[in-house]
Amino acid sequence: MTPEPEEERVAARLRDATHRLFGRSLHIRTVDTGSCAVCESEIRLLTAPHYDLHRLGLFFTPSPRHADLLLVTGPAIRAFDRALEKTYDAMPPPKLVVAVGACPLGGVYQEDEFVHGQLERVLPVDVFVPGCPPSPLALLQGLLVAVGRLAEKVGAESFTTLGDEEESR
Amino acid sequence: MSEDTTARAEHPMAGTSSLLLDRTDVELHVRAMAQTPGVRFADFFGSIEDGELMIRLVWGLDREQEFRIVRWPARGTGYPPLSEVAPAAFVEECEIYEQFGVSPGKGRALNRLVIPPRAEHSFPRLGEAPPHDRPLPHAPHYVSGEAFEFPFGPVRGVGQESMYMGLVTSGEELIDLYLLQWHKHRGIERRLGGEEVARALFVVERTEGLSAVGNGWAFCRAVEAIAEVVPHPAVERSRGVALELERLYNHAAAIAALCQSTGLVVGQAQAEMVLEQLLRLNASVFGHRYLFGVLAPGGTSRAADVDALVTLLPPIMDSLRRLVDALWSTNSFLDRLESCGVVTPADAARLGLVGPVARASGQDIDTRRDHAFGPYGDLAVKVPVRATGDVMARMSVMVAEMEESARLTLDLAGAGLGAGTVEVPPATGSALGWCESPRGESLLWVDLDAGRIRRARVRPGSVRNWRSFDDAARSRNVFTDIPIIEASFWLTVAGLAR
Repeated sequence: MTPEPEEERVAARLRDATHRLFGRSLHIRTVDTGSCAVCESEIRLLTAPHYDLHRLGLFFTPSPRHADLLLVTGPAIRAFDRALEKTYDAMPPPKLVVAVGACPLGGVYQEDEFVHGQLERVLPVDVFVPGCPPSPLALLQGLLVAVGRLAEKVGAESFTTLGDEEESR
Repeated sequence: MSEDTTARAEHPMAGTSSLLLDRTDVELHVRAMAQTPGVRFADFFGSIEDGELMIRLVWGLDREQEFRIVRWPARGTGYPPLSEVAPAAFVEECEIYEQFGVSPGKGRALNRLVIPPRAEHSFPRLGEAPPHDRPLPHAPHYVSGEAFEFPFGPVRGVGQESMYMGLVTSGEELIDLYLLQWHKHRGIERRLGGEEVARALFVVERTEGLSAVGNGWAFCRAVEAIAEVVPHPAVERSRGVALELERLYNHAAAIAALCQSTGLVVGQAQAEMVLEQLLRLNASVFGHRYLFGVLAPGGTSRAADVDALVTLLPPIMDSLRRLVDALWSTNSFLDRLESCGVVTPADAARLGLVGPVARASGQDIDTRRDHAFGPYGDLAVKVPVRATGDVMARMSVMVAEMEESARLTLDLAGAGLGAGTVEVPPATGSALGWCESPRGESLLWVDLDAGRIRRARVRPGSVRNWRSFDDAARSRNVFTDIPIIEASFWLTVAGLAR
C-alpha cells in the first residue's frame, strides 16, 4: 500500500507542526452531538493503517482532561448541551475545537427546537472541516490547520513564554 | 374486520395488504397474530389524519411474502397494552406516548425513548404532548443490595456515538444494563413533514448514514408505489449493487470493531484495510464513500463504474478471506466470541428482531428473499442462519453475507447496470416501502399529499435490534464483553433516536 503524494505531503506538514508545538503528542477527544454515525466511521479510520494518525504524533484519548483538541460531529443537539459543555470545560487550555462535517457547519439541519444547527453557536470553533462526511485525508488536513492555529493560542497564555520565532507567527 | 378500501388506506401495492379495525377488535387481532407462527411484529406507529390520531401496525407475514398493515382510529381511548401480548411493541408504545400523548392503558410504566428529560410541554412532537400533570414516566429501575450503577456516557469512546449506558454491576458481572439514547434525537420524522420528496430523501439518507442506501431505497420504493412508477430494471440493479456494497463495508467495519473490542490489534488493522478499500471502491463505483446521493426518487442519480467494480472487488474479497481464515484460527479471539452476548431464538422471535442479529439466532428471514423487491426476485438470495445466537454466530452470519453480497454484486453487474430516473409525478396517498439494509429490514411508511410529505415513518433495522441489546448484555457477561456485543450488533444510535 503506497500512500499517494498528496497524503504524504499533508502528513509531513502535520507531523512537523505537531512535533514543533507539542513534542510529538497532541491528544484528541471526540464527541458526537447528533451525527448520522458516518463521520464517526471516518474518524475511526484515522488510526487505520492507510492513515495512521499515531505516526504523526497525534493520539486519541478517552479523557477530555488529557485532550488538546476536541473533534466534534453533528448539528449540536440542544439536549446534548450540558454534556458538550462539560467535555469542553474539562479540557485544559490552550484547547482547540475542530468541527467535523456538514452538520456543524449548518449544511444539514437548520436551527430549531431540536438543534442549534451550527456548532459555532455553542462552542468557539477553530476549524471547520467540510464534507458529508469529510474523508480521513480531509480530517488530517483540518487537524493540520488547527495545529497551525494553536501557536496563537499558546502565545496568548499568560503563563507561557515562547521564543521569538513563535511570537512572530 | 374487512379488506380496507377506504380513501386513507395504503396504495394498492404488490406484497402489502391493508386492514381497518374497530378499536374494540384490536386486542383480539394482536393476540391472534402474535400467536401465529411465521408472523413477525414489524412496526407500530401513529399519524394524525384529518385531525385524528390513527394507529398503524405492520406485521411481516414472511411465508406469505406479505406485509399486512392494520390501522385503527385511536380517538381518545388509546389502545390496549399490546406489549403484553407482543413484547416487541414496547419500544413503539413508548414512542407513541412521547409523540402523541396516548398511552396503552392507565398506569403503564414506559421508558423514555427520544424526548429529552425536562422537555417543555411545547417541545416539538408529531402530535399532542402527554398531559401536563403527568411527567414522562420511566419504567422503574432499582439498584439495591450489593449492586451499584456504573454510569457510562453519553460521551463515550473515540469515534463512538453518544449514548448513556447504565451498567448495573456488583463489580465484574453485569447484572443489568439500560440505555438512554435521547441525546441524539433530531426530530427526523417531524422534519420530514411538509418536505418535497427529493429533499426528504436527503434527510432520510442522513437518518442513519451507515444505512443510507437501505433506508433511502425503502423510501424511494414507497414514493414510487404511490406515484405508480417503476424504475427501469437496469436501474434497479444499480440500486442493488449500491445496497450490497453498503452491506459489504458495514460488515467489514463490524469485523474491525470486533477485533478492536477483543484487543486483537493485527486483526483490526487488517479489517480496517479491507474496510478502507471497500469505501474507496464505493467512491470509485458511485462517487461517494458512503453511497450518499446515489439513489434518487424514480431511479439513481449516478451511473455505476462497472469496470472499477469488477476489477477492484475480487482482490478485496481475497484479502477479506485471508483475514477471516486467520480470525477463525485465532483461539484467543474466538474464546471471547463464543457464548458471549447470547440472544436466544425464542427472544429473537418474541422481540421481532431483524437482520444479521435475528439470523444468528435462528430466524430464517431476509427481506430480499421473503419480500423480494427490485432485482432480487431473480437472484435467489442465499440466507445464512445460525442457531447459537452468540457473538460468534453473528460474526459467522456477517462473513457469509459478505460472500453472498459479493456474488450478488457481480451477478447484478453482469446483467447490466443502468442509471437515470423516471419522472415521479406529485401524487397523493400512502404506501409502505421496505429494504434489507446491512442492519436488517428497513421500513418506511410514507403518506404524500400532492408530492409533499404529510407523514413519513422511518424505521431502520436499528430500532428493532436495540430492543434485544440489554438482554444479550445481561446473559452471563462481564463488563469487558459489552464492547464486543455492541460491535457484533453493529447498530447505530442515530437510527433509533432519529
